[in-house]
Amino acid sequence: MGIDRRTFIQLVTGGVVGSLFTPVIWKSLDDAAIWSQNWPWIPRLKYGQITEQATLSKFGPSPCSLTVKSVGGSPYVVKGNVENEMSKGGVDAISAGGAQLLYSPSRVNGPMKKVADGKYESISWEEAEKMLSEKLSAVKGQAGKLAIVSGDATGTSSEVLSAFAAGMGSSDCYLMPGDEQAAAVALDNMGGSGQIGYDLDNSDFVLFIGADAMNSWGSVVRNQRVYSEMRPTGEDLKSVYVYAGPFLNSTASSSDKWIPVAPGTGAIFSLGLAYHMLNSGSSASASDFADFKTLVMSRFTPDKVEKAIGVAPGVMAGLAKQLMSASAPLVISGSEFGQGAGAVDIIAATALNMLLGRVGEKGGMKLLADLPLAVDSAVSRTELSSRDFAGYLAAVASDKVKAPEVLLAYEANPVYAMPQADTMAAAIAKVPFLVSFSTWMDETASKADLIMPNPHSFERFDDAQTPYGVGVAMLSACAPVTEPIYNGKSTIDVVLGVASGLGIDLGYESAEAVLQAKAEKAGADWDSLVGGAAFVSDSTESGSLKFAASVLSKAVAMPKGGEIALAPYAKLNVGSSTVAIPPLNCVTISKFELQGKDLFVQINGVTAKKLNVSEGSKVKLTGTGGECVARVHINEGVMNDVIAAPLGFGHTAWDVFSRGKGDNISKILTVGTEPGTGMAVWTSSFVSIA
Amino acid sequence: MQQIEFDTKWTMVIDVDKCTGCGACMVSCQAENNIAPMEDGSNKLKTLTWLLVYELNNGKDFPERESAYLPRPCMQCGKPACVPVCPVVATTKDEEGGIVSQIYPRCIGCRYCMAACPYHARYFGWFDPIWPEGMEKALSPSTSTRPRGVVEKCNFCHSRLLDARARARAEDMDPNKLPDGWYKPACLEACPTGAISFGDSKNPEHKVHDLIKDKNAFRLLESLGMDPQVYYISRRDWVREQSDNHLPKDKH
Repeated sequence: MGIDRRTFIQLVTGGVVGSLFTPVIWKSLDDAAIWSQNWPWIPRLKYGQITEQATLSKFGPSPCSLTVKSVGGSPYVVKGNVENEMSKGGVDAISAGGAQLLYSPSRVNGPMKKVADGKYESISWEEAEKMLSEKLSAVKGQAGKLAIVSGDATGTSSEVLSAFAAGMGSSDCYLMPGDEQAAAVALDNMGGSGQIGYDLDNSDFVLFIGADAMNSWGSVVRNQRVYSEMRPTGEDLKSVYVYAGPFLNSTASSSDKWIPVAPGTGAIFSLGLAYHMLNSGSSASASDFADFKTLVMSRFTPDKVEKAIGVAPGVMAGLAKQLMSASAPLVISGSEFGQGAGAVDIIAATALNMLLGRVGEKGGMKLLADLPLAVDSAVSRTELSSRDFAGYLAAVASDKVKAPEVLLAYEANPVYAMPQADTMAAAIAKVPFLVSFSTWMDETASKADLIMPNPHSFERFDDAQTPYGVGVAMLSACAPVTEPIYNGKSTIDVVLGVASGLGIDLGYESAEAVLQAKAEKAGADWDSLVGGAAFVSDSTESGSLKFAASVLSKAVAMPKGGEIALAPYAKLNVGSSTVAIPPLNCVTISKFELQGKDLFVQINGVTAKKLNVSEGSKVKLTGTGGECVARVHINEGVMNDVIAAPLGFGHTAWDVFSRGKGDNISKILTVGTEPGTGMAVWTSSFVSIA
Repeated sequence: MQQIEFDTKWTMVIDVDKCTGCGACMVSCQAENNIAPMEDGSNKLKTLTWLLVYELNNGKDFPERESAYLPRPCMQCGKPACVPVCPVVATTKDEEGGIVSQIYPRCIGCRYCMAACPYHARYFGWFDPIWPEGMEKALSPSTSTRPRGVVEKCNFCHSRLLDARARARAEDMDPNKLPDGWYKPACLEACPTGAISFGDSKNPEHKVHDLIKDKNAFRLLESLGMDPQVYYISRRDWVREQSDNHLPKDKH
């Protein structure tokens, strides 16, 4: 029997059909697909017991209370701690990747000293502490030879540092710039004491002047949680929010109304509102009320205010009326990017709160009492907050003040994050011995002579006291949630040990003991704190405030006009002044802020036409102390004659996730001196464009 | 196309008016789902972000401009366009409350599903995932790692549903009738402004049951008839209009 064509086709067809019914082929294909995806370089998951533990993260400008989930002892994801008042269960965009930051390529894995050619050599902790002790021993007791800057405004660590500075005979212990500095100076000028706080939780009408509450002002995460509670989804709103500022930022876009106001003109806006309130008969019992009224009624009339800042009299009158008719109104002023505002902005906003009768009231502005000091010889929190590091560095830069022999930077990155960054970095470069206590290889660490890494937030004992902006005094703390990954050592422990060697008794032998003592003196239970609870105190300062009319009279000047104002803004997903772009956050950055290595600044169509630029144009922005390169994005959410520019880019250190991306807008901020208070300010920065 | 109805319908409701675009949800999603960090996150065509926050605006010039932020996870459509086009049945609308699943080892990377999805909610892994040295120790045990060449997407943190069901069984409760708040995706847990609500829209005891009936509730591209299980809420007319690709010349 031969095989003809018909038989051949039958055989082939039969074979094909038969193969469809056998599982062998399908199973083989499935196995092949699975096998082809199991490459050895793709990590396998590790399993183990899943645990949850409370901690604090301090990556952003305000602390965040978290619960860390760990598998087999390794943290992998975080969630907000709803039991804690400090952040009320919220998580910020840096802390959300806090577990992954434990393994950031930017971490410093042990103490290092600078050797030839700017390279670093690993050393032991004993050698590092010996080096530090020797340098400090040489300057002990000599004023002006030691300076300390801390990037932690809320931790008891700053108490230890200020007490150590005092023991060394130095009065140069500072905090990195923040809104709390302007508030402390303002309160001092108004004759008040304590810390300014705002009871957002109980206010039914909040006016933010400049202060970008959702990104950079105050306790951001807590602000967001309160905002959420006051605007329950699917229900009636419990509070009205109005934002006055130069840019349609997150706060403006989530507010009920945005009133465009140029950067650095918040005080004029406030006093323009005060005019309408005074005109309606508002008053306050303050010793200089008459002077204040005379000042406002003569210099901040509706026509003058409109000419200065462009806000129509009807808008001002309407807003004043809304404020006066609300049952619990609150006015909050601050910088649009969390730093550099003058005290007058706060004084002027406080004047509104005073005219509204909202100081010391529920839902109003509060004067919070400082919690007792843990270290007796420490500088009070109020005084530390009011010290002017930018002014000090500017004086060093211009040789008005001699550079210190030793500068200690704790959780701070002043080489990158100070205004007029190049000028300030040059001032720091004059310091013969720079020590970095940073967790990360940041710009300051990469210039330091000695690096003594502080452990990551999840690896150490720490605490946080009353972040600026919250409405009640509070304290939170944390214990390590994981074993140290690298060879870090708590800076408090280092300082206590070195101090002891130098004969300075700070009263404690370990970080844990200091923090426990702080909790005890505040009346809090340490075990509860490290378990995730917050201690809340309703203690407030008494006494009345004055308007500081004489300061307002000197410090508030009408803008000249005709210039292009710089409106920097800070967003937490891009990092903070202490943390660069975290690895997981790169994808969250808008294509209108960064593309490849190009930074984008934003202007509206009218300004673009005036400057003869268009979408994507490459421009050079020049300020007093430096210049930046950026591309233009046309955004109608920016007011006329203003350039909105994101902070947080242009890192020269760190890792591949942040280094070399965009430019550092801090370089083109201009540091000036506020008349009347003498503090350094940089919210009114103007730029030229080429 | 036939639509299978389940007794449970896991539903997400996002309040656009409360979203500040902070990005915490995106970062939390990356961590929970083992999405490797990307050096150049600005290449939006090749980045993996199961949840993406878009910035919207009303299209008007200064000073009339308004903006809003719109987080966009997978819509878990009732009639998903991605499912019927998958030649290897790697994606299905399974029985678990209507979550559209994606089986990575079965995916052959043809990307038909990406072409079919009108929400751009599916992502192709263009690169092998690379974690910086040591960061693999911070991988979540709940989501498998994926190689390059497969399509990925949000699954409402489906492993958390399994965890919630296990807890219900342990507490002698019906695992198919979870109490409100027992099952929370990572994005919801991280969102500081509480813009995200989540639950079973068929269960009257869950908040989302009522929220989806809110007068300001809407779904994206509703006219396509995909029946998404993600709802949005906004008081602003222009936000709601943009949700269905409303053009200026269209009548309201």
